Amino acid sequence: MQRKRGLFALLFALVMVLAACSGDTPAETTAGSSETQAPTETTAATATTGAPVEGGSVTVFGPESSDQEAGAIQAALNEFGDANGITISYSGARDAEEQVNVQLAGGNPPDIFIFPQPGKLADFARNGDVLPLPADVAATTSANWAEAWTVFGNVDGTQYGIPVKADLKSLVWYQPQVFTDKGYEVPTSWDDLKALADTMVANGDTPWCIGIESGPATGWVFTDWVEDLMLRINTVEDYDAWVTNDLAFNSPEVKAVWDEVISVWSKPGAVFAAGGTIAATPFGDNATPLLSGDCLMHRQASFFSSFFSADDIAASPGGPVNVFYFPSVRGDKPVLGAGTLVGAFRDAPEVWAVMSYMSSPEYATARQISQAELNGGTAGETLSGFLSAANGIDPAVYNDLEKSFLDILASAEVVRFDASDLMPASVGAGTFWAEATAVVNGEKSVDDALAAIDASWPAS
Amino acid sequence: MAEAVGMRTRSNAQRWGILAIAALVLFGLSYAAVSTDADGPSLWTRVVSALIGVSVGLGALAVIRSEEISQKLKGVMLLGLAGGLWFGYLVEPKVRSTVVGVVVAIVASALLFVGANSWFNLARAKWPIFGAVTGAAILGFLSLILVGNDIMAMSNTSWLVPIIGIGLGAGFGALLTRAVERSRRLITGIVGGLAIGGFVIAFLRPSAYPAIRTVDIIVWPVVVAAAGAAVSALRGRLWWYGAIAGAIFGLFVAAWLAPDRFGGAVADAVVGTVGLGGLVGLRLGLKPAAEYKRRVEVEQGARAVIFLAPGLLFIGATLVIPTIRTIYLSFLDARSQESVGWANYATVLSDQKALDFSKWTGVFTSSLLWWAVILGLIGLIAGYLSGRSTGEGFRSTGLSVGPMAVGAFLFGLAIFSNFRGTVFNNLWWVFTVTILASAFGLAIAVLADRAKFESVAKSIIFLPMAISFVGASIIWRFVYIARPVQKDQTGILNSAWVWLGKTSTSNAKYVLLAIFLILIAGSGYLAYRAFRAEANGVLFGAGSIVAIFAWFSYRLLGPGLGGIARTVGDKTFTETIIFTQEGPFNNMWLMVVLIWIQTGFTMVIFSAAIKAVPAELIEASRVDGATETQTFWRVTIPQIAPTIGVVTTTLIVLVMKVFDVVKVITNGNFGTEVIANLMWTRGFSEFNLGLGATLAVLLFISILPVMVINIRRMQREAQ
Amino acid sequence: MTTAGLSANTGQGLGDRIQRFIAGIPTWILWALVAIWSMPTVSLFVNSFRTKTAQQSSGFWTFMNDPGALTLDNYTQVLQAGPSGGLWQAVLNSFAIAIPATVIPIAMAAFAAYAFAWIDFKGRGWLFTATVSLLAIPLQTALIPLLQMWSGGAHWTIPFFEKTVTLIPDLDLQGTTIAVWLTHSGFALPFAIFLLHNYISGLPKDLFESAFIDGADHFTIFRTLVLPLSVPVLAAFGIFQFLWTWNDYLIALTMIGSNASALPATVLIAAQAGEFGRLEHVLSAGAFVQMFMPLVVFLALQRFFVRGILAGSVKG
Repeated sequence: MQRKRGLFALLFALVMVLAACSGDTPAETTAGSSETQAPTETTAATATTGAPVEGGSVTVFGPESSDQEAGAIQAALNEFGDANGITISYSGARDAEEQVNVQLAGGNPPDIFIFPQPGKLADFARNGDVLPLPADVAATTSANWAEAWTVFGNVDGTQYGIPVKADLKSLVWYQPQVFTDKGYEVPTSWDDLKALADTMVANGDTPWCIGIESGPATGWVFTDWVEDLMLRINTVEDYDAWVTNDLAFNSPEVKAVWDEVISVWSKPGAVFAAGGTIAATPFGDNATPLLSGDCLMHRQASFFSSFFSADDIAASPGGPVNVFYFPSVRGDKPVLGAGTLVGAFRDAPEVWAVMSYMSSPEYATARQISQAELNGGTAGETLSGFLSAANGIDPAVYNDLEKSFLDILASAEVVRFDASDLMPASVGAGTFWAEATAVVNGEKSVDDALAAIDASWPAS
Repeated sequence: MAEAVGMRTRSNAQRWGILAIAALVLFGLSYAAVSTDADGPSLWTRVVSALIGVSVGLGALAVIRSEEISQKLKGVMLLGLAGGLWFGYLVEPKVRSTVVGVVVAIVASALLFVGANSWFNLARAKWPIFGAVTGAAILGFLSLILVGNDIMAMSNTSWLVPIIGIGLGAGFGALLTRAVERSRRLITGIVGGLAIGGFVIAFLRPSAYPAIRTVDIIVWPVVVAAAGAAVSALRGRLWWYGAIAGAIFGLFVAAWLAPDRFGGAVADAVVGTVGLGGLVGLRLGLKPAAEYKRRVEVEQGARAVIFLAPGLLFIGATLVIPTIRTIYLSFLDARSQESVGWANYATVLSDQKALDFSKWTGVFTSSLLWWAVILGLIGLIAGYLSGRSTGEGFRSTGLSVGPMAVGAFLFGLAIFSNFRGTVFNNLWWVFTVTILASAFGLAIAVLADRAKFESVAKSIIFLPMAISFVGASIIWRFVYIARPVQKDQTGILNSAWVWLGKTSTSNAKYVLLAIFLILIAGSGYLAYRAFRAEANGVLFGAGSIVAIFAWFSYRLLGPGLGGIARTVGDKTFTETIIFTQEGPFNNMWLMVVLIWIQTGFTMVIFSAAIKAVPAELIEASRVDGATETQTFWRVTIPQIAPTIGVVTTTLIVLVMKVFDVVKVITNGNFGTEVIANLMWTRGFSEFNLGLGATLAVLLFISILPVMVINIRRMQREAQ
Repeated sequence: MTTAGLSANTGQGLGDRIQRFIAGIPTWILWALVAIWSMPTVSLFVNSFRTKTAQQSSGFWTFMNDPGALTLDNYTQVLQAGPSGGLWQAVLNSFAIAIPATVIPIAMAAFAAYAFAWIDFKGRGWLFTATVSLLAIPLQTALIPLLQMWSGGAHWTIPFFEKTVTLIPDLDLQGTTIAVWLTHSGFALPFAIFLLHNYISGLPKDLFESAFIDGADHFTIFRTLVLPLSVPVLAAFGIFQFLWTWNDYLIALTMIGSNASALPATVLIAAQAGEFGRLEHVLSAGAFVQMFMPLVVFLALQRFFVRGILAGSVKG
C-alpha cells in the first residue's frame, strides 16, 4: 500500500502544479478567455474605433422573430456585412427579453441586443452589462436621429443605446370598405368610438378584436390601451409623473383609466377573441379575424401591418386595411409612440461599426425594402410593418399609410413614449403586465392589481 | 444469458448476410442519388434518405430483441448503425460534424482507457518496465504542462524539453524499480531526484524563478513536516515517512504557491527545483522495493481508479460542484454580486404567491367538501352496518372503503382548490397525479391481465411515455382548445360540451334522456345483483353510476347540461370552457396531461408485479373459498405493496419537478405556477439569480426526504 | 374482479346472455380507457394532415367529410428552413444531442458499475451510496452554475494562497449542442451506474472466479465477459436515455437559448406553440415530426424500454 500512496501523492502534486501554472501565468494560452468572460471590464475608452474594420463576426439578437421581420433585419445587416467582410448573424426569439438574461447569466451575451424597452436597457447599463457608446458612434447616432429619440438610449447622461425602429401606437386598424358598406363612420372622439362600438353590437357585429397573449410578455396590449387612454383622460403631466412613480398606480387618475378599459373590453358581444378569451389570444392572431370580418376594429401599433400579408388582404372580402387615429377625449391629439434600441455587449471595432450602421438611414431603408418584399409586395406600395424615424430616409420606400404615420409622429403636439417600456423592468416588463393579465382574466379586482403593482416598485 | 451465446444457426447467419448486402446496396443507391443532385438534395430527398438510413440502423438494432448475442449479429447491428450515420454524413453537414466529433471523442477515450489499462497490466507482469513507463508518463506530462504554460522553454528548442523529460523519467523509473537493496534505492532515488530538479532548472525561464521569502522556506516545510510526522506516528507508521512527505509539500507551497512572487534569484530557483527534486527522490528511495503482492495491490487499486475516474469526475463536474454553487448563489443578490444572507429565503417563503391562505373560507363553501363528507358518512355507515352483522365494529368492504377513499380524494381537492399559491399548487400536483396515475395504472394492469390482446392494450396506454412533455402539452392543447363562442368548436372536449348545451335546450334532449335512463336501469340492475351477491365494490361502482346519471338527467330537464346557451341578437352562443384558464381547476386539466403520460409507467410496473405474485398463493386463497375480489384485496395487494411504494415515491419525485407542461401550456399564468417554473421566471425572466437559486435549493430540499426513503429501500434490496 | 359471485356459464337463455354481458364489462372498460388514451394522439395525427382553415373551423373527426382538406403542406412547411430555422435542422440537432448523450454515459457508467460491483477497494460501499444518492438532485438545481461553467469554465481561488486555479477552461460552449449533451451525460450517470450495477453485480460469481484463476485481469474480464453479457441492460438504458434526451426541453432551453441553428426539436415546437394562432397548422405536424423518432424507437424496442423501467424505477 505504501507504494500506491506515494504514487498518489505524486499525482496530487502534479495536479497542483498543473492547476497553479495554468491559473496564474501571465501569457495564458487558453483561447479568448478574458474577452468573452467579462465584457464589462474593458471600457469604451480603450476601443480602437477609428481603425478601419475588416473581417470579424458579430451576433445580433432581438425579439423580432417572424419570418418577415427577422428576414428583413438579416437582409439589411448582410448589405453592410458583405461590403465590409463582417459576418453578421441575426437571430430572433419571441421570448428574447428572457433569453438575453439567460445568456448574460451564463456569461455569454450576444454582441448586440435589440432592446424592446428603454427601461431594460437602463437596467443593464446601470449594472455595467451594456457598454457606453464610444464618442464617434454617439456622434453618428446624434446625426442620424433626432434628440427626441436618442434620449431613450441615454442613461444618467451617458449614451448607451441607439434607436433603430419607431412605432406609432395610437392607431385603430379597420377596413374602410366594410365601414362604408355597413354605414359606420370613423369616430373622431372617444365618446363617438364607444357609441360606434355599441351600435355595432346592436347590429350583430363584433366591434373589437383583442388578444393580449405574448409569451412571457403577456399583458402588454392591455398596458398600451391604458397608456393611450392615460394620455387622453389625464394630462401629460400626470402621464410623466406616473412613469416616474410620482403618481401611484392606485391613484384615482390611473384607476379611472383601468376601469374605462375594462368596461370597454368586458361589454357583452364587444370582443372577438380568436383564442377563446382575451388572455388566451396571441396579439398577432387578431389580423386574420379582422380580415375575415369576425370583428371590425383592432387597436394596435404601426408595426402590426406586418401581420397583414399582401395575399391575405387580397383574399379578404372587406378589401384593404387602413387605420384611424385612436380618438382623443378632450380634442387635443396626443400620440403614444415606442421603439427599439440596440445596445452592445462586446467592445470590438466590428461591433461598433455594425452599431453605427444600424443607426443609419441606409439600414432603415434596406430593412424597409426587404420587409415589404418579404410581406409579399414592393416597398412604397405594400405595408411592411417597419417604420424608422431616422433622418434622411428616402420617402419613396414608404407607402402612403406609412408616410401618414411619419407625419403623425412628426406633427403631433404631444408624443409620449410607451410608459411600461420606460418603467424599471420589474414593473414595466413585470408586474404591470402580469397584474393586467390577472385583471383581464377576472382573477383579480382592479384595486388589488393596482396595489400589487405599487408594491413592486424597486425601493430606490 | 450465457447459454444464449452458443446459439447460432447457419440460416440465421445467411439471413444477416442478406440483410447486410441489402443495406450496402441501399447505401450505394442513395449515395448515387444524393451525389448526382446538382443543387444539393431537396428537402424530401434528405428526409427520405435519412429515414431509410435510420430505419436500417434501427432494424439492425431491433435484432437484439432475439436475445441472441452472436458476433455476426453484432456486426450487422454496427453495420446498420454505421449505415444510418453514413446517410446523414453524406447529406447533412451538421451530422458530419457531430459524427466526426463523437467518433474522435470515442476513439480518443477508448485509447486512453485501453492505454491506462495496459499500463497497469505491466505492474504485475513487468515491474521495471512499468516503472519506466510511469516515470516517462509523469515527467513527460509535467514538462508538457510547464512548456505549455511558458514556464519551461528555450527559444526554439521547446520540443526538446518533453523528450528529455520522458527519457529522464523512463530511466529514473526503470532504475528505481530495479533497485532492491536499501542503500542502492536511496542513492538511485536521491541522484535521480536531483537530476530531475536539475533538468527543470536548466530549462526554467528566468522570469519564472520563484522569489522565496525566508520565513516561508523555514516555516512551511518545518510545520508541515511536523504535522506529517505526527500523522504518520498516530497511524502507526514510520514517522520520518510522514515528515519527508510534509517537507515536500511545505517546500512546494513555500516556493511555488505563494502569491505572485516571481523573478527571484538563481538560488531560490535551485531550492525550488533541485531541492524539491532531491526530497522527492529521497522519499521514493526510502520506500522498500515492491514485493509481488504490493505490485498486485498497485494494479488493483489503479484499476479501480481507472474504471471509476471518468464517471465520477464527470459527476463531480456536472452535478456536485454546480449544486454546491447553487447553494452559494442562493445567498447572493439578484446578480450574484453581494451577499444577502437569508434574505432570498425570507422573500420566497413570505411571498403571498407561494402560500396563499386568503381563500381558506372557501373550503367550507366548496361543494367538494360536502360531497366528501357525505361519501365519508356513507362509507362509515356501511362499514358499521356490515360490521354489526358479522360482529366486528367496523368492516372494510368495497361499500365502506370505496366511498371513504373517494371522499378523501374529494376532500383533498377541496383543500387544494382553496389553499392557493405556488407551493400548494405543487402539492396539489403531487397529490392528484400520484393518486390518479397509480390508480389508473393499477386498474388497467388488473383489467388487462389475461385479457385478449393484452399486449396491444398495454402498448397503447404505454405509448405516451415515449412522447415528450412538450409534445404531450401540444397534443392536449388541441384537445382543450376553445374557439370563440361565435365559431364551431374544434377541440373534442369543448365540442362535446357545446353539443350537450345545445342538445339540452332542444327537443333532442329527450333522446339523450332515454339513453341516460337505459344506463341508469342497467347500472341499477347491476347494483341490485351485486347487492344480492354481497359484491360491495361492484355495488358502489354501479350505484355511483346510477347517481351520476340521475344527476345528469336532472340537469338535462332542469337547469341544462353542458355549455349554457344564450342568445345575442339572432345568434345562439354556447359558453365554452377555457380549460387552461378557468381557475382553480385549470390546474387539474394540466395534471391530466401528466397523468396521461405516467399511467403507462405505473401500469407496466404494476402489471409486472401482479404477474410475479406466486400462483400458489392465489390458488390457496381460492381454495379457501374467497371470491376474486377478496383474493385481489387480501393476497395480490399485500404482495405488490412494496411496488406501490416504489411507484408512488418515484412519481412524487417526478411530479415535484414538473416544469415543461406548465411552461408550454400556461407559462405559470392563471394561477398555475409551480416551483420549477417559478424558478425559471424569477431567475431568468426577472433576472434574479439569487431567488432562482433559492427556489432550486428549496425544491431540492423538498425532494430529499422522498429520495432518502428511495435510496434506503434500494440499499435494503441490494443486500 | 367485478364478476365476484356472478358465476358465468355458457348457456343460451336471456339470463345467460346478460350474465356474459356483465362478465364482459371489465373488458369493455379496458377498451374504453384505451380509446380515451389514444384519442389525443390520434386527433393530433389527423389534424396534422388538414389545412389551416379546416383545422380552425371544424374538429378532426370531420376529416372524412372533406377529403379535399387533407394535405401534406403542413409537413413541407414545418420542415423547410426559414429565417427562424426549420424543423428539419432542429431534428438533426436533436440527433446531435441524443446520440452522444446516450453513448457517452453508457460507456462511463459501465466502467464505474463494473468497478463498484467487482473490484474490491476501500470505501466502495459508501462511494456507491454517495453516487446513487445524487439521483436526488433535481436538474433545476444545477442549471445556472452549469450554464456559467460551460461558457466561462470553472475557476477556484485557493483560500489563503490567492491563486486562482482553472479546473475547467473557458470553452464557450453556451449555445452549442455540446453543452446540452455534456449536461445530459452528467445527469444520466448516477441512474446509469445504479441500473448497470444492479445488473452487473447480479452476474454469476463463479464466472469471475474462473476467469481470475485463468489469470485474466479486470480489464480483460470487463471486455470479454461483462460487456457481452450486459448487452440487454446496456440496450435498456440506451433506449431510456435516448428518449429522455430526445424529449428534453429544460436543459436545451437553458443551454442553447437563442442560437436558432442549434435548437433541438422540442424547443422549436415549444416556441411555435407560443404563436399558436398563426402556426397552429404547422404545430400539429411539427409535434408529430418531433414524436416520430421516439415512437419508432419505442415501438421497435418496447421490451427493452419496459425492462429498463422495471429495473430502475427510481429515476428521479
